[in-house]
Amino acid sequence: MFEIEIDGKLVNAEAGEKLIEVTDRVGISVPRFCYHEKLSVAANCRMCLVDVEGAPKPQPACSTPVSEGMKVSTQNEKAKSAQKSVMEFLLINHPLDCPICDQGGECELQDVAMSYGSNVSRFNEGKRVIADSNIGALIHTDMTRCIHCTRCVRFGTEIAGIMEMGGTGRGESLKIEPFLNEGIQSELSGNMIDVCPVGALTSKPFRYELRSWQMNSTESIARHDLVGSNINVQTYKGKVKRIVARSNDSVNETWISDRDRFSYEGLSHSNRLLKPQVKFDGTWKEVSWEVALDFCVKGLLRSAGESNSMNSLGVLASKTATLEEYYLLQKLVSELGCENIDYRLGVKDTKNTINLESNVKLSDLEKIDHALIVGSYTRLEQPMINHRLRKAALRGGTVDVINSMQFDFNLALNNENIIIPCEIANLLASTLKVVLESTNQDVPEELNKLTITKSATKIAKKLLSSDASVIVLGEHVINNDNAKNISNLVAMLAKNTNSSTLNLSKTGNSIAADIAGFFPGKDGLDVNSMLGKDMNAYIMFDVYPEYDFHNSSTAIKALSDKNSFIVSMNSFYNNNVADYSDVMLPISSYYETSGTHVNIEGEFQTFAASVKAPQESKPAWKVIKVLADLLDISGFNYSDSSNVLEEAKHNIKQGHRAEESINITDTNSVEVIWQPSPYSIDALLRHSDSLQETKIGQINKATMNSSTAKHLNLGDKDDYLGVPVVISSLVANNCVFINANKSTPSEEQA
Amino acid sequence: MFDKLIKIFKDFTLSELLLGMSVTAKELVNTKITVQFPEERTPISPRFRGIHALRRYPNGEERCIACKLCEAVCPANAITIESEMRDDGTRRTTQYDIDLFKCIYCGFCEEACPVDAIVETQIFDYAFESREGSVLTKERLLEIGDENKKLIDKTKLEDSKYR
Repeated sequence: MFEIEIDGKLVNAEAGEKLIEVTDRVGISVPRFCYHEKLSVAANCRMCLVDVEGAPKPQPACSTPVSEGMKVSTQNEKAKSAQKSVMEFLLINHPLDCPICDQGGECELQDVAMSYGSNVSRFNEGKRVIADSNIGALIHTDMTRCIHCTRCVRFGTEIAGIMEMGGTGRGESLKIEPFLNEGIQSELSGNMIDVCPVGALTSKPFRYELRSWQMNSTESIARHDLVGSNINVQTYKGKVKRIVARSNDSVNETWISDRDRFSYEGLSHSNRLLKPQVKFDGTWKEVSWEVALDFCVKGLLRSAGESNSMNSLGVLASKTATLEEYYLLQKLVSELGCENIDYRLGVKDTKNTINLESNVKLSDLEKIDHALIVGSYTRLEQPMINHRLRKAALRGGTVDVINSMQFDFNLALNNENIIIPCEIANLLASTLKVVLESTNQDVPEELNKLTITKSATKIAKKLLSSDASVIVLGEHVINNDNAKNISNLVAMLAKNTNSSTLNLSKTGNSIAADIAGFFPGKDGLDVNSMLGKDMNAYIMFDVYPEYDFHNSSTAIKALSDKNSFIVSMNSFYNNNVADYSDVMLPISSYYETSGTHVNIEGEFQTFAASVKAPQESKPAWKVIKVLADLLDISGFNYSDSSNVLEEAKHNIKQGHRAEESINITDTNSVEVIWQPSPYSIDALLRHSDSLQETKIGQINKATMNSSTAKHLNLGDKDDYLGVPVVISSLVANNCVFINANKSTPSEEQA
Repeated sequence: MFDKLIKIFKDFTLSELLLGMSVTAKELVNTKITVQFPEERTPISPRFRGIHALRRYPNGEERCIACKLCEAVCPANAITIESEMRDDGTRRTTQYDIDLFKCIYCGFCEEACPVDAIVETQIFDYAFESREGSVLTKERLLEIGDENKKLIDKTKLEDSKYR
């Protein structure tokens, strides 16, 4: 730490810091275009030139390291004239189309030109024009406006991990363009819009809609992944018009995934459920809230029968509710004396599934030196967590993978094990055996008969030799026949190798569901036993059966065949819901209600409603509260969702703790992994048109290798479980990896 | 004493009356300044700020590009604009409303317009019979612009050398 002098002020600086970091910290403004605090230094725009005493020419503040006794002026004649000249050069080829540019009003070039530019142009020659390229449904390009700061190029290589944009040509003919004509495919591509200082890259869905100054901005939390990225929701006349990232270094830094950025489009989809509806004699009628809720109450009480017991009421919710909604619904039902409550709709067997705690901070994730990823394609499934892992890998960390399909990771993999799902448990078990043996511990009986494979030794050695390692358990194993074993094995491996664990299978807001106690009580039924039984009534919270249930057709059949009274609260209309329900209550979607998201760190992130729920739809927690009032249940006197949160915080429930036992079963048949495609994981995403148009949104394939295809008698043009077959050697033998944006299978999975 | 004598003299010679009558007589032969509105009109400065109009390019294309600078600069918040991308990819308004009850005829919208689309014309004698008439829609504004194209072009040309 030493002192340097900037504009006559003495400020502290640390060795190795760049000048611009010091000026930013003490609040001296230095104009810049190419410098971005999260990207590498390029120093190619030259806008940040400052006068350093002793240097013959002005120096770029972004790439000049500080040194002791340095005297810098950002304001003197030399610096000012340098900045003014650079500004003039930058404006030579920049078109004067600010009035039709979407960046107008929030443009860095506009702002800097106002304060540092000249008021007349001396340039009389023709301006350069670049043809635009169509780079997909999310980003619109106007490359004539580009000032070659290369922030987008650096973002692609450094953050997104795929070099999609690049510079071709030199000097006057330098063009920033995508190398391939397939458009930008990164799952983080929307951030290029944020980093672009001019209007060259702008949001396509937002194109020409509004000016930045017209919108109100509210802070909110994105709920599509486990991170809960911090965002600003920009609204106009009660509608969400745009979502931009909000910096929070401990959560999402300054980036957000495309899912979080563009999902808002679904909010104004024509498929929204906007009015309460009641089924009278098989036909739906729009009714007032009073009538609909009265109908619910009467129906629920009738279903209790003469014994007045609510034992045959089932309550199911999707993974997207807020903590408050989970808590209130759970409280309502338990007050009624019912314990049949579940949110794990996509789980085949809730007794045999992953039950693992996450115990690593997101900001620590980038400091680990080894990661073992089991059953996850983190890049598309949890983009922000993958970004942290990638950062760790770039710092020299290593990443091992145990998957059933080879994925296109954007980080260097040390050791990739592609095995069929039933072998995952075996591999982990033998890894554990190696770990136990090499640390001179007792090997449990169950592991004795295992043969130690080479790959197990490799994985074990890497885990043992790393100081800070993490084992990431993903969604692909959630329905694995050995899911519980895998979960236990990972926990034991972590314990014995001093690793942290990260459970990525708790998608959406399911961590909040656990905290709120939204799981079956002692004698309660889980989702599958509910569907198997004759329940008299159901309360379904934002459930879209063909996507949410593990086996959609059986579930839909179970719900519609039996003559149960079904209350559905949904934010979007759905044919199957309309088919089996007796009442449909329109509830708020994302950004329309206040609530809390609990992220993978266990961090409670509370957000306020950004807009009002449209038409007659209401915030779900209020609906549940009124329902409780009408059912004469006391203790629901909340005036605000924050009261609910307070109460929920005092009643934090613990999920079922799994016993540590291993009992691996073998299967020989073809195994199927069903993974919804990244942009189909919740109702809002499925209704966002632009996201659905992207390459990732259109992923819909059942990938298998040729011998599996032969075994199943399938060809290239066939469908498997309703999903087009793709034959590829990337998948393990005897395994079908399905990535679908359509409903879950209509037949029993293999 | 002397004043009294003068007054008596004036009273008897009717000089005050004659003086007044002389003005009348003068005006009898002078050119008239009263105009018969609305058949006759007084001249108006080309900078006069009357009712608004939206202009078109010679090829018939509307000038307005929905930059919303007029909306932003309007001190009375009288302008409301909604924009979209038209099928040919250009930026256009879908709604352009001026509330004449709010408008204070300051002319800032005209000053702010980068493409000289919104102008204030010399027309000041307009009236409307329903409350809704107080809001000039985009269609109405373009209509005013089309109807008075010659007048607008002439006044803007006259004023252009002072801008």
